[in-house]
Amino acid sequence: MDALAHPYGEVTARPQLDLELRGIRKRYGDFTAVDGVSLQVEKGQFVCLLGPSGCGKTTTLRCVAGLEEPDDGGILIGGKEVTKDPPWQRDIAMMFQDFALFPHMTVAKQVGFGLEMLKKPKAEIAKRVQEVLKAFEISVLAERKPGSLSGGQRQRVALARAMITEPRILLLDEPIGALDYSLRETVMLELKLLQQRTGISFIWVTHDQNEAFSLGDLVVVMNHAKIEQQGTAEEILQRPATAFVAGFVQGNNVFRGRVTGTSPDVLQVETSAGRFYVPRPLDRVPMLGDPVSFSVRAEQVTDSPSERQANRLSARCTAVEYFGAVRRHVFERCDGEVLKYDQFGAHAARIVPGQTVQLGWLVEETVLHAGAPG
Amino acid sequence: MSTIRVRSPASYWLAVPAAAWMLGVVVVPIVLLVWVSFWGGRTFSPASPLTFDNYARFFANQTYIKLAGTTVLHTVTLMAVTGVLGYCIAYFLVMKVKSPGWRLALFMAFIIPFWTSTLIRAIAWVPFLGVNGVINQFLMSIGATRSPIEAFLYSHTGITMAQVSLYTMMAAGPVVYMLSSIAPQLREAAMTLKATPFTVFRRVTFPLTLPGVVIGQVLVFLNVMSDFATVATIGGNKHALLSNLVLLFYESSQIRAASVVAVLLMVCMLVGVVIALRVVDVRRLGVER
Repeated sequence: MDALAHPYGEVTARPQLDLELRGIRKRYGDFTAVDGVSLQVEKGQFVCLLGPSGCGKTTTLRCVAGLEEPDDGGILIGGKEVTKDPPWQRDIAMMFQDFALFPHMTVAKQVGFGLEMLKKPKAEIAKRVQEVLKAFEISVLAERKPGSLSGGQRQRVALARAMITEPRILLLDEPIGALDYSLRETVMLELKLLQQRTGISFIWVTHDQNEAFSLGDLVVVMNHAKIEQQGTAEEILQRPATAFVAGFVQGNNVFRGRVTGTSPDVLQVETSAGRFYVPRPLDRVPMLGDPVSFSVRAEQVTDSPSERQANRLSARCTAVEYFGAVRRHVFERCDGEVLKYDQFGAHAARIVPGQTVQLGWLVEETVLHAGAPG
Repeated sequence: MSTIRVRSPASYWLAVPAAAWMLGVVVVPIVLLVWVSFWGGRTFSPASPLTFDNYARFFANQTYIKLAGTTVLHTVTLMAVTGVLGYCIAYFLVMKVKSPGWRLALFMAFIIPFWTSTLIRAIAWVPFLGVNGVINQFLMSIGATRSPIEAFLYSHTGITMAQVSLYTMMAAGPVVYMLSSIAPQLREAAMTLKATPFTVFRRVTFPLTLPGVVIGQVLVFLNVMSDFATVATIGGNKHALLSNLVLLFYESSQIRAASVVAVLLMVCMLVGVVIALRVVDVRRLGVER
């Protein structure tokens, strides 16, 4: 796709955008790593690129950094076309998955590296490094080398090194993936606060949906080199746009079937697990016989359906799992697929594995996905 | 590094064969060599009195002093040439040759000549460097020169040319290893911190390969200092370095003088290695990553 054919037309700079991707594409031989990804990041936005490994999220990030040159499409940083610019000419900084600290430099030297490259006077660099080390609570490490630091300390040094030049955009490639599980939550909160305080746009690549949904102002779900859906955490959790997103995001029950009946506001869908009713979307009219997919969240399911819960099926409980305040029941549908049902609190009647139960949910809690079911 | 030390007698016994061998073929001969270099008197026996006379005689001779100076200068020149050339070759092999198959093939092409002995490789240069040698034939055929250049064989230039070809891989090998152990993310991180490619090399790549450079330089230094074969073959009888002097004295049965030069040569090498270790602590390689 060339720039002219793109829906956004020729280069029209939007200064309020920190980053704009216009249909970027990247191939390695026969393998397409990024296939027409378009994205707009507003000033100071926290964007999470979420997807399974190999979905192209890291390649997208590397294209933004200038470490890969896209075969097609355009990249604008702060309204300026940078598609062909090398990394050192872009207003970005990047935090690498394993932090990529220079093994031969002390922490202080390391953190000051970016300012040195900007040819700042020595005294100013020393002063700024001190301030930043203090702000990141790593002043005591100033003269140490990375080899002697713990994972958490390395993470702070890497962050300080990237942030000191105050870039327009900070790119983070699985920035907390290398940390101990117990550290992650604290670090996530700190990073979120830091991002809000500095107003620097963060583009955070992760395969962990908890990270993406708790941090991102905008969550971009990618699969097979393409964007499946972008929106707020709530939008993606409540209204998954595709069968992939519904299946990838925890807590969704996905059904695939064919339209067997339409009415002004409800579709009837025949699936291998029974017949269900789905609200008809406003933007398109599926025809009789069309293959469709839909989903319902596990917490919307109930084990004592009344007349109002028009979508019903019976299933056999195979396991009960506890996640904090949530009790998740795993059922086997009659077609062999899994159905999940979440209960909050311990008040309701317990279902034991082996038991077959009537389950149901409201038609309006059912979400029809766009596009053909994958 | 593990802090557990097994202190069983068996672990010491395991070291005995190697230790005995090293003692017999390295330590004892060196001690003998040093001892002989201090022998005085006219008879050649262990009963000789110990003096500094042999050393005094060596240092009193301007020719020998000049020879020592030439040797050091020659070695430094070779270190510089092979260092730069070797680094370029290593950088090319690791950074520019993307296909592992090609990299291996090129690396083998550099390595295979080393499977023959130093003497053979030195002699192999003679047909290349001679007046009717390959290089002169080539230069004349492309019209670069009308008459053959005589400076190649039996000259200092010739010795340098041959030794550069013999020792460049020694300088390149450790650098290849160090370069390929640098994670690409380090260079990428530097680039995202606004470092241009040259700065990335100067501030990140080169410092991280410095231990390899130093090890390579030490190898070249030790080999060139002790290489008498190339000098004798390519230099004819017109050129000699310290190591040739050892041979010269030995062949004329001047064992004490030969010992003196050998000891001085060893001292030079020791000093060189100590200086190299001060630049980079080879023993701590890899600890900081």
